[in-house]
Parts: sequence; C-alpha cells; structure tokens
Amino acid sequence: MALAEFLAELESLEAAARQSLAAAADASALEAARVEFLGAKSGRLKSVQKQLGTIPGPDKPAAGKRFNEAKLAIEAALTMAQERLERSATQAAAAPFDPTLPGPRPRLGHLHPLTQTIEELKDIMGRLGFTVATGPEIEDERHNFEALNIPASHPARDPLENFYLSVAGVATGEPLLLRSQTSTVQIRVMESTPPPVRIISLGRVYRPDTADATHYPMFHQIEGLLIDRKVTMADLKSVLRLFASSFLGGDVHIRFRPSFFPFTEPSVEVDMSWHDTHAGGAIRWIEMGGAGMVDPHVLRAVGYDPEEVTGFAFGLGVERVCARRHGVSDIREFYRNDVRFLHQF
Amino acid sequence: MIVSWDWLKQYVALDMTPAELAERLMMAGLNHEDTHQVGDDWAINLEVTSNRPDCLGHIGIAREVAVLFERELKLPAALPASSGERVTELTDVTVENPKQCPRYTARVIRGVKVAPSPRWLVNRLATVGIGAINNVVDITNYVLLECGQPLHAFDLARLAGRRIIVRQAREGETFLAINHKSYVLDPSMCVIADAQRAVGLGGVMGGAESEVSPQTKELLIEAAEFDPMSIRNTARKLSLHSDSSYRFERGVDPSGVDWASRRTCELILELAGGELAAGVIDVGQQPAERQPITLRFDQLPRILGIEIDGRVARRILSALGNQELRADARQVEVIPPSWRRDLSREIDLVEEVARIYGYDKIPEDASVPMAPSHRTETDRVLGKVRQALTAAGFDEAMTLSVVEEPWSEAFSPWTTAAPLRSSTPVLRRADRLRRSLVPSLLGARQTNESLANPVIELFEIANVYLPRGSQLPEEELVVSLTSGGDYFAVKGVIEGVLVALNPAAELLVRPIWNDLLEKERKAHPDSQVRAISDHEFSALRRAIEIGIAALASHERHDLFERWRRAGDAEDLFVAEFLFQAGFSVLTAQDRQSLSLMLGGAKDNYLDFEAIRVRLVALGLADRRELLMPLATGEESFALTAENSPSPYVATSARRHQLLDAQQAAELWVRVADDDELLLGYLGQVSADGLQQFELRGGTTVAELNLSALAAIANLIPQYVQPPVFPSVARDLNLVVDEGVLWAELAGTVRLAAAPFAESLTFQDVYRNPERLGPDKKSLLFTLTLRSPDGTLTGEQADLVCSSVVNACHAAHGAQLRA
Repeated sequence: MALAEFLAELESLEAAARQSLAAAADASALEAARVEFLGAKSGRLKSVQKQLGTIPGPDKPAAGKRFNEAKLAIEAALTMAQERLERSATQAAAAPFDPTLPGPRPRLGHLHPLTQTIEELKDIMGRLGFTVATGPEIEDERHNFEALNIPASHPARDPLENFYLSVAGVATGEPLLLRSQTSTVQIRVMESTPPPVRIISLGRVYRPDTADATHYPMFHQIEGLLIDRKVTMADLKSVLRLFASSFLGGDVHIRFRPSFFPFTEPSVEVDMSWHDTHAGGAIRWIEMGGAGMVDPHVLRAVGYDPEEVTGFAFGLGVERVCARRHGVSDIREFYRNDVRFLHQF
Repeated sequence: MIVSWDWLKQYVALDMTPAELAERLMMAGLNHEDTHQVGDDWAINLEVTSNRPDCLGHIGIAREVAVLFERELKLPAALPASSGERVTELTDVTVENPKQCPRYTARVIRGVKVAPSPRWLVNRLATVGIGAINNVVDITNYVLLECGQPLHAFDLARLAGRRIIVRQAREGETFLAINHKSYVLDPSMCVIADAQRAVGLGGVMGGAESEVSPQTKELLIEAAEFDPMSIRNTARKLSLHSDSSYRFERGVDPSGVDWASRRTCELILELAGGELAAGVIDVGQQPAERQPITLRFDQLPRILGIEIDGRVARRILSALGNQELRADARQVEVIPPSWRRDLSREIDLVEEVARIYGYDKIPEDASVPMAPSHRTETDRVLGKVRQALTAAGFDEAMTLSVVEEPWSEAFSPWTTAAPLRSSTPVLRRADRLRRSLVPSLLGARQTNESLANPVIELFEIANVYLPRGSQLPEEELVVSLTSGGDYFAVKGVIEGVLVALNPAAELLVRPIWNDLLEKERKAHPDSQVRAISDHEFSALRRAIEIGIAALASHERHDLFERWRRAGDAEDLFVAEFLFQAGFSVLTAQDRQSLSLMLGGAKDNYLDFEAIRVRLVALGLADRRELLMPLATGEESFALTAENSPSPYVATSARRHQLLDAQQAAELWVRVADDDELLLGYLGQVSADGLQQFELRGGTTVAELNLSALAAIANLIPQYVQPPVFPSVARDLNLVVDEGVLWAELAGTVRLAAAPFAESLTFQDVYRNPERLGPDKKSLLFTLTLRSPDGTLTGEQADLVCSSVVNACHAAHGAQLRA
C-alpha cells in the first residue's frame, strides 16, 4: 500500500470517528461507536493498523507516526464524548429543564427611522421604474435657482431664506449655498441625460427654519421626476396613487389642489385619502407634498424642447412622512439620537 | 387674507354656505385655513400663494367666486364728483427715483370732516381684524382690502411746501412712522417727502407727522406703485412689515391704481364730506400693454391628460378677465387682465383652465408605461454596510451636517483645509460644514450618556465637505462609528464590514504617528520639534507637488539649482523639504543614489517616482501626512548618507489629537496588487478628547471612506469550489522582539507557507521577561494548511512549518518557543 493512500484512509477514518463520537446521544450509542472505531478485535483502527505492514520500508516511520497521532486523537475524542454524556446525565438528574429561561439575545442595531422610510419610498419608486439619483448638497445659484425658474427677484432667493456659504470659503467668488431642495439633482440629471428621464432624487436639504416640533433647519426630501413624450397630469396622479397605495396599503385616492411652485406649471398640492383608524375609520384627506408639470422654462434651461417632451415632478418631506407613519410628535427627536428612541424602530 | 362674508356679498351673490364656498375656493387654489364668526359676519381665512396678489383683496376673491359658481361680478364704478380748482394748482409731485417708484398718483380733497366711521365700515374692518381709527384712515384700509392696492392719506396742510417729493432716503435720515417708532434709513430705501423731510416710507408705512387727525381738513390721497424688490429689502432691513409692503412685494395691479384712488375719494366724499379737486396728478409710467397669449386647445390634453372642449376653455378664460382677441376651433388668443401678472405664457393659461375646470376631473388610473430601474451601486454597498453594522449591534444615528467651531476643529482626518462656513449659523452657533462625522457622533454619545443609556453603539453615514479651492467642494460619503468597545472590538467590526462586501478583502493597518513628536524628541533631544501650522502645511503641500514633478522630470537637477539661485523662498523650501522628507525615509542605498545625483552623477539618478511611492506608503506625501524639516539654511544641503537629521514633525500629531497616541491607526485596503486606497481612521479617543466631549466612558471611533469600500466591494461574487482535501492545522509559538508587529510577522508567515497557507489565526500574545527575556513577546497562532492537489501529510505540514519558522527567524529574529 502506498503511503499517500494509507494517510488518506487514516485521515477519513479519524474524521468519521470524531463525528460519530461527537454525535453519540447516549451511552449505548457511544459504546457502539467505540467498538466500531477502537474495538480491540475488529475496530476500524485495528484494521488500518494491519495495513501498516504493507507500507514500503522507507515510508514506514512516517506512516507509524501518523497512525499514532490519529489513535491518540480518536481516544481523546472518546474521552470528551464520555464526559459530555456524564455531564448531561447529572444535569438532567439534578434540575428539571426550564424552557422559559431566556436565551442569550444578540444585540441587534436598528436603522434610523428616516433611513427606513427613505428605503421604503425608494423601494416603491424603484418598482415604479424610478432610479435613484443623487447630487451635491452644496450648490451654485444656477442649479438651486436659475434653472429652476426662480429669478433673482423671487423671494425664495432672499439671503435670509437660504444658507449661503461665507464668501471667504469660496475661491471662485461665485455664491454657493446649501441646497434648499433636491430639485437641483433633477437639473443635473437632465443637463447630462437626454430624455426620457425617470428618477427620484433624495437627500438632505437646508432652510433657515427655527427648530421646533415640526421644523428643523435640515431635513430630507424625496423628489420624483418623469420626462418623456406624452407625459400628462393624469400620469402624475396615477403614479402618485400607486405610490401612496403601495406605501399605505389598501385603496388610496389622490386629490390635487392648485398651488404655486416656480419650477412646475401647473402646480398642485397633493392630498391622499387616509382611513383614520382613530376616528373610527373615517376618510380624511392628508397632505402628501407638492407636485406639478415641469415648467417649460425648466425644460428649456436644460436643453429639452417643451414642444417635444413634457414631464412631471413631485416632492415630499421625509421627516413629515416618517413622523406621521410612526406617530413621532416632535421631529427634533430624529436628530437627538437617543438610543431608546432609535430602538423603537 | 381674511375675507368677510358680508363684504364679499357686495360683489357677488353668495347662496352657498361658508363651508361650501371655502371648499370650492380651496380646490381652485385658495387654501382654506379656518372660518370663524365675528358678530353677525364670518371671517374666512384663505392662504394666497405668492403668484396671486390679485387675491389679496375682496374683489379678487369675489372674481374667483363668480367664475367658480358662474355668478355675475358687480364692481363699484368709483366715479367721484369733482369740483372747483384743479389738483395741479393745489399741490405738486416730483419723483426722483422712478426705479423705486415707477408711478405716483395724487388727488386732493378739501373740507373733510374727520370723524368716527359708520357702523358697517367698522364692522367689516373688525371682521378682517383691523381696528377702526377714523373715517379717512378706515377708508384707505378698506379700499386696500377691497382691491389690494395700498393707499395713503396725508394731511395736506402738514406737508411742508404742500408738495410731495419721492426720493431715495438720505444716509442716516430718521423717520417717525405712524406706529410712533423711529427708523434710521439708508439710500436703498424710498421715502415720500415734503419740501423738508420724509413723511412716509414709500409703500411700507406713513409718517406720524403728516398723519390724518381730527383737525385735518385737507387730504392728499396717494395711490402709487413701488418696486417689489426695493420694498422687500426695506421692510426686511427695518423689520417693518405692513399690509402695504406685503402687497407691494408681490406686485399690485398697475391698472387698478387709479381706480383705487377714485374709490377712496368716492368713499371719503360720501362719509367725510369735502370737495374733490378736479383731475389727478399722475407721475411716471402708465401700465405697459400686455402681450397677447395663444392657447392651442390640443395643449390641454397634452399637459392635463383630459380633453376639455375649446368653448369651455374660452368661457373660463373670459370669466377670469382675459380679453379674447380671436378664436377658432383650434386655439384662442387673449390679452390677460392687468391684475394677473402671473399669466404670460400658454402654459399659464393651461393651468387657469385646469384649476377652474377642476383637477378632480383628471383620472388617477392612467396606464403609465413600465420602465426598468436599477439599484445604484452606492445603494447596494450602503445596504451591505448597514446590514453588517446593525448585525454588529450598532444603531444608526443622524446628525446635523453643520457643527460649531470646537467640534469642527476637534477632528479633521481628511483635510487640513479650513472648513467651509455658512454665512449664518444653521442651528445655534453651528456654521462649519463638517469635515468629519466623528465629533457629531461623540456629541450624540454624550447625549446618550446624559440619559444614562447603558449601551451606546452608533454609526452614521453622511457626507463630509472638503474644500477644493475652486469649483464646488468635494462631498465625500463616509461611515463613522462610535463604540463603547475597545480598539480591537471596533477593528473587528470593520473587518466584518469588509468581509460583508468582499470575503477576500484585506485590511491593512498602519499606526498613526501620533506619538511621533514624542519619539523624535526622545531620539533628538537637541532638535527643535514643533507642530506645523495650517499655513505652512498648505504651502508644503503645494510645494511638494511641484517639487516632485520637477525632480521627476529630466531637468530635475537643473531646476533644483535654479530654485536655489533664484532664492525663491517657497521653491527653495520645496527643495529642502524634498531633501529632508526624502532622505529621512530612504534606505541608505537610496540616499547614496540621491547624493550622487545631486553631486552631479547624472546617469546614476534616483527614481523619484520610487521616492514618491515610499512617501505615500509611509503616509507622507499624497495624504498630506507630510513630514516637515526644520533644518534651515546651508546645513540642510550638507547632507550625507549617514547624518540626515530628523527634526521633522508629523502634522498628524495635531490632526489626530482626538485619538489616543498609541491606540490609533490608519486603515487601508488593497484594490490591486500594487494599489492601495486609504479606507479611513480608527482609534480610541484620548483622555483630552473624552474631556472635550464630556464623556465619562471610553470610546473607540472610526471613520471610513465609502468610495474605498465601494472599490473593494464584490457585489456579484463568483462561485469557487470548496476544497476537496482535508486541511491540517498547526499551532506555532514564536518569540520576537516587542517592536515586531503582528501584521509584519503574519506577512512573512503567509509568504513562507504559500501556497499551502489557507488561514492564519492569531491566538494570543504572551509576555514574561523572566522566561522570554526583556522586550520580548511570544505570539501564538494557528496556521491552517491545505493543498489543492491532495491530502497534506504530517511531514509535509511539518516541512511548511519549519520553513515558516526559518523565514520568521530571518526576517524578524523570531525563535520557536518550545
């Protein structure tokens, strides 16, 4: 017998023995395993030992050494198995098993509720064919205002309504600001992509609101944009209904109220019907966000032809959605990071 | 805008309930805030969007009601009778600043009797929340709330020179407003003055000194137009907002100016008597002619998704005051009404038709075509990172992107450039755009400590903002952690994150030379060692780039000489720096080469790219961890192979002082055989750091660059057949000097055991000066060996082990411990 063959057999025997011994559930099973592998007359180790004699002379010492190692290992495994059975026998006898004792519970971390909401919204919009797009939080005036049809005279451009960066930090001298809406991302995508476009942009936005239960100077926005030939307000309403139904479950309806945003025309406030479980299942309308058809000025500003394509856009504040979904009455909680708060979601 | 039900009835028949009215108005764009009863009247509070100043008066609302309910709109003609002298003989108006005040009209009434207003007027004003003063003032308020045009009545007798001059305010000019507060003005503001002084702040508020009093007999009635931007700036600068400024900021109806003036006079004659002088003084530009707009009817379904009959669209537009020029089956051409400056394009007309026709007619079950969407790579990487971190027990935090100065300065591992700042604080004193999330997380940790939360394991994923000089700053997504665990606990978590992204990923750890200063001071007690300033640092950074590029070029030596001769301080500094930095990290052989090169042996030049690689590898050059030479003057050029001084200073010492000097490291990942990326930083927070953040318990922090994580992520792993042959494990116990790092030893072991080394598991470190000798440690580890070609025999395994031991002995002086 060749040395390699012998060693391989020894190896598999050792593995099999360890497994059998470790698996033995009671004393008789263990004894059976012992006899099988270590039996003095016809144990499997014995039969391998017999093959030692067939190993060519020069290989004999190596084979013998390995044989002894394997034997010792199997004997050690037997001892361990015996001790294991003795231990469980004494325990079983000493104390009845209490299945209600707690198991050691791993400490699992929790994702921030805003992340969970964002992921869910992204997920739903993904199923509706919208791909996530992101862009810089520090923006120039072209992307935050001009391309969005917000001229210099518009009140939204008031320095007090925005967080402009100090001039000292901006080498080019061009005014930069923390974006006040994620529509900037839409402009950046449209500037670099020919239609059709079907994206959701999301991220942090900044507005100088005094922090209170419903305001924080930083919040998250999620905005959808669809540009293509023949996109209508009926498409907008339908997509929003699919979106709201997916998020809330059940049959949700959408209502538009006329509104005004510089970058859309027509512009609407979007409400969705809400079965108020607290009010005995009564249906009431709750505000969802703003929406509208992309203004022709905006389409032109990014090089699209408004006679060729139309599009819709909608946006909503993540904090508000999340706060309502989980009954959080003060949105400042989202940024306090109390572990007891985070662990509720 | 608060609307009185009783008042509204004057213009349009109201046969619906206030609730029905509010609902219908809301669905047409006037959001209903609330309705409450005032006496016998209803006050209906409507929210008017900034594009609809025409709805800042009862007539504007009445017009919407008339259109929505298809009722007739009845408006007063406002044709007061005049008599006697012409107004031009009684007063005079000059406008010096037509940009701020494009139009100013004045009428004069003499012989009025100022008295309390009649009941109906008092009541209507009370409904909309305005207190009555006297009949004249009440009438100007009334007309403002009727048509949206602000008005002002001056006591003509109290105007010096009996005249009006509209001009820019003078620098420092003071003005006493009718609220009896005094304001200091500047030339960006527009005042209404008489021959001597400002008597009104144009479009914002009248003055106390010319206000109408019970003694007033003669009135000058002002109806004007002011520039919206100028009004907004003035109102804001002075924090003086009024019903007038609110309307002028949004733009008034240019054709309504004169109507409002006549209407005011009509009511004054009726309620306060007097005689209206003939004519009007009307200075400035007349309303511009509006351009016609064409609405193609096929645009209605194209935008709205519903068919609307052309005749319906025409009826809506006409009812809203658009003047139809021509129409056919395909389109209509209209002149928009003067009070609707928001209408100038076809799309504006589409919106008008839609909102009156009703958005409820738009279906919500259109079949939108399907489209593919994909999850971005960033999102997939972030998903795995979040999964791994939450599994490791970390909770996700979210903190403000802008921090206060002490936090901003506490830790900035990615850049030494000063942080960007917002011109006004975002919250409290926070105005620095953060360069690291770590301080914010330590803040959140402190919050949790103060709440006595026992376990605080937090991570956040957000941008840091790194100034780039020109263009937009760099926004780098990073993942940061703060843990109550020690250095190794967090290191293990980071290794877990890497494995989640790519099981084959390898984490390379390099100690941060945080204690370099100390080491240097000890090694060179005579040298002056100090920390580098930000200014010196950025000069260095620029310098080393130039210097390396130049030295790497073929002219390197010539250039060097030229710098030296030119005596350009900065460039000379470059050369010195390169000498020092280069020399201090070079092998003796390299130094020799460099000396040769600079000594003129041109053929035997040094490969400066190799130096650059070394500098980077040592964390010196590209990553801003520059070593700075302090040796100056000729001395620095007198370098020889052996005596290179090292009075250099690590900038890292200052930049990482938040971290413990010992238990801190840079983390790198290998993205290719010869390419490594900086992953981030890991370290225990130092005692000083804990004190700064008022933390009681210790914490370990880390910050990882997401782009490095993305670079190693294997998002579509390929199946590899598990090995078929059994493995052999061997425990080894090697005694080495304290200075030998585990990673160094492990590298040697892996190399020596290749290709059989399957895994190498660190088990323990053991120190015992008596048994092992001083400054020695024993490293215990398990080496698992496996061959892809067959079962390893014990002899083969022993052979591998002995070559491992030999290699470790050769490389690290390691001894096998019996």
